[in-house]
Amino acid sequence: MRRLRLVGIVFGLSAFLLFFIAGLSQAQDTIKIGFFAPITGPAAADGMSAKHAVELGLKEVNDAGGIKGKKVELITYDDRLNPQEAVAIANKLIEKDKVVGVASGSYSGPTRVTAPIFQKAGMPMVAGYAVHPDVTWDPTQKKPNDFIFRNGYLGEVEGAAAAEFAVKNLKAKKISIISMDNDFGRAISAGFAARAEKLGSAILTKQMYKYPGEKDFRPFLTRIKEGNPEVIFAAGYYGEGASIVRQAKELGITAQILGEEGFDSPKFLEIAGPAAEGVIIATNLDRDDPRPVVQNFLSNYRKAYNEDADMVGASSYDAFMILVNAIAKVGTDPKAIQKALLETKDYNGLTGKISRFVQGEVVKPVQIQVVKDGKFRRLAVIDNPEVITPPTK
Amino acid sequence: MISGYLITILITIIIYAMLAHSLNIITGHAGQISLGHAAFLGIGAYTSAMLYTEAGFPFWLSVPLSGLVAGAIGALLAIPCLRVRDDFLAITTMGIGFVAEAVFLYTPFFGGAMGIGGINLPNWFGREMTKSEYFLLILLVFGFLLFLDHRMGRSWIGLAWASIREDEQAAGAMGVDVVRFKVLAFILGSAIAGLAGGFYAHFLTFIMPQNFGFGQSIVILCMVVFGGIGTRWGPVLGAVILGILPEIFRPIMEYRTFLYGLLLLAMMRFQPGGILGAESILPEVLRRYIFRPASQE
Amino acid sequence: MGRSSDLKRSNMLWQQLANGIAMGSVYALVSLGLTMVYGILRILHVAHAGVYTLGAYIGLFSFRLVGDFWVSLFIGMAGSAVAGYLIERFLYSPLLHLPRIVPLIASIGLFIALEEAFRIVAGPHTLTYNARIGIGDLSIGSFRLTETQILILFVTFAALIFLWAFLTKTRTGLAMRACAQDAETASSFGVNVKAIIAVNFLFGSAMAGAAGVLIGVYDNQVWPTMGAIPAYKALAIVVLGGLGNIPGTVLAAIGVGLAETFFIGILAIPFPRDAVAFIAMILVLMFKPYGLLGKA
Repeated sequence: MRRLRLVGIVFGLSAFLLFFIAGLSQAQDTIKIGFFAPITGPAAADGMSAKHAVELGLKEVNDAGGIKGKKVELITYDDRLNPQEAVAIANKLIEKDKVVGVASGSYSGPTRVTAPIFQKAGMPMVAGYAVHPDVTWDPTQKKPNDFIFRNGYLGEVEGAAAAEFAVKNLKAKKISIISMDNDFGRAISAGFAARAEKLGSAILTKQMYKYPGEKDFRPFLTRIKEGNPEVIFAAGYYGEGASIVRQAKELGITAQILGEEGFDSPKFLEIAGPAAEGVIIATNLDRDDPRPVVQNFLSNYRKAYNEDADMVGASSYDAFMILVNAIAKVGTDPKAIQKALLETKDYNGLTGKISRFVQGEVVKPVQIQVVKDGKFRRLAVIDNPEVITPPTK
Repeated sequence: MISGYLITILITIIIYAMLAHSLNIITGHAGQISLGHAAFLGIGAYTSAMLYTEAGFPFWLSVPLSGLVAGAIGALLAIPCLRVRDDFLAITTMGIGFVAEAVFLYTPFFGGAMGIGGINLPNWFGREMTKSEYFLLILLVFGFLLFLDHRMGRSWIGLAWASIREDEQAAGAMGVDVVRFKVLAFILGSAIAGLAGGFYAHFLTFIMPQNFGFGQSIVILCMVVFGGIGTRWGPVLGAVILGILPEIFRPIMEYRTFLYGLLLLAMMRFQPGGILGAESILPEVLRRYIFRPASQE
Repeated sequence: MGRSSDLKRSNMLWQQLANGIAMGSVYALVSLGLTMVYGILRILHVAHAGVYTLGAYIGLFSFRLVGDFWVSLFIGMAGSAVAGYLIERFLYSPLLHLPRIVPLIASIGLFIALEEAFRIVAGPHTLTYNARIGIGDLSIGSFRLTETQILILFVTFAALIFLWAFLTKTRTGLAMRACAQDAETASSFGVNVKAIIAVNFLFGSAMAGAAGVLIGVYDNQVWPTMGAIPAYKALAIVVLGGLGNIPGTVLAAIGVGLAETFFIGILAIPFPRDAVAFIAMILVLMFKPYGLLGKA
């Protein structure tokens, strides 16, 4: 009996707290935009990067007077890279916080889970860099989620662009692939292999390593060394990329290393040290882009946070700005915002000029950057429409 | 109308309550530490997901089947598990968890790293169920399971479990078929976890192998321990409290996980029996400061 | 096929051997502490991985101050040793009389809190630990034993010799072995069990700290969750080797390091590296339920 009373009390208290929290809401005359990222947990570094960049964008917008005179309010949530939390966050943003649009600064897992929720609620979301194809595509109904847009490239598109460069520019006939084993790694390496083989080159080995956690690539690289490829296409985030590049140098591998947007971070340069010199990556941020939107962002970020920006931050910034831009055009009705986004033409983004969206995916040239004198510099741009146009389903 | 946000929290909590309860059967009744329980959550989730998306099974079939499949696999795994003792068992269960996650990750049949998507809420009366209705459904099922557990607790099965938990060797010496009852607990615990997995898959609509790893197993275990292993309501309470905590702590989001770890630490150091356990101070605190001292209890 | 590709193949095999033994050595350093703690307290000290990470961080920060690898290694080991001692004194000691799951969960809670503490204090980003001792790599043809690999082998070897000498040639070592076998009897013979437990933790934690520093230098990376994989991999290794059995643990650790490298580098089976330790463990347990060298 006493036990039951105890149970009842704790339940009651919890229920009370829950209703209390759920009931809290604020009413202000601002334009509310939702934002979520893995601020704590295993992807905290990227979460912080995304958060910093978007907050920079927020400051820029509000310092310029906001949108049509109204300040923009950013509602930020930490998803801890946990899909259940992402579901709760999505619902909260829609109902409690009553945002007019959402920017995702998170990975595929949380973004993918929230996409159908936003789609159903008619809430536009722009994903910064999450790569899973199902973010913009509903697999059961077999149609696109037309309220969801993605600023980053589809994994297969980025991989294809990297292959285009490897075969046409680097003239590589023998290539080895090493990639992390998650949705991003699989998509990008598949895209790379398909395009490379189509252009007539041979993929000698394709190895996948576990993510997260793998830091010792020596067994993989030793095997790659045996085959003597001209180019090694390596997919990973900055920690893995740096390790691969360093250990390859240690083992005396001379093949050209070609990476992707995961490498695009000052941390990669720091950890890899001198071994990073000469590494080429396919990414969306072009440091040598003379457009003010790029140069201002790069210097403002550095001033505000005392470190260089990376791809994650830049992509999240763009996702936020794309929303802001649409709101500035048509106001705060989510349906109108969605329509404006669908009609995007030649948007001048930080991470490249988006000519248009195809089923929520960008048509945007892929940047090829090289590490020269310890910094990322422009090497080439892939804008072959055959490569950069996302496939329609 | 209850807000959708609240409902999603409630659904998450009730699924975890079911999971904690199922683990409690294995740890509490059979006295076996399992560090890989999320594997059964995963087996159930993937079973329901595959049946639903690939074989076109309706929700009403795929979810019960996920419980059955998980239970069957639990039975299979019980046998090698019981050959192994105590701490070895704890680590073996952890190993099972890793192997299960690896299987989901590496078998293209299960969608691999891409996971499985498009697992929708069930249809009834010609339309899709609302989230509130889904919550009530799970609540009903879980309530029924708790009722069953109550009845079982009073039956000879419950007594056998209690005796095994108290002192395995003595129970064996008294003629209790220890192995059989342990296997029974395993099967029941994994089946219910699988059932929860089915509900989980249809709630999230998308599952990935990473959802079912070691971290998830620990979350479930902590709920059981926090509430009190072996008690009927402890794990449920643990699920409720630890499920609400992330939402309450959201404002101090930077420190959430840190506080969570500290909480576990503090609980074990000072209240190892859990909140509803034998030496919990909670009744004392309540009695002393909130209620008049009861004259009889 | 030809002589040159045969040579290449055998060079690659040597290289993989070196890779495998290097990783195995680090695994050994981490796992030893775990098995020693289990041997004497019968507790699964999951927070040991937190001590490992702490060693890496302390080593890194002392390296930044002092600039010398060996000094930073020593300070990292000392820091870890102290941490290990404190954990035993204030967390495990009061919980010894309770069911085993209690200290286990407490340890897990501590590990989670430690990981987060590292993130809060040092930031979520990876930090670089660029220490060198200036001896360069050892190259024979296209086989290369890198400087960091040499360091790892050296430190592990030294630690193992030291441990062996300590356990077999000193009185305290003898007392430790006695306690591992039967603490009650040992205490009735006048052994100060509490002091032995403390020494046990100091040693084991120091070795974990060394492992943390070595991995930090090997990969040039120190980050808050670097202890996550060693946490469970070390558990699998100590079970595989025989809980509480020191030679068994070393054998298992090197074995796992080699097996992982073998699977990835030579057989090229697309299988997660971390599962190798567990599969090996489960397989061995089927035939030897107490591990490779363990006894009931």
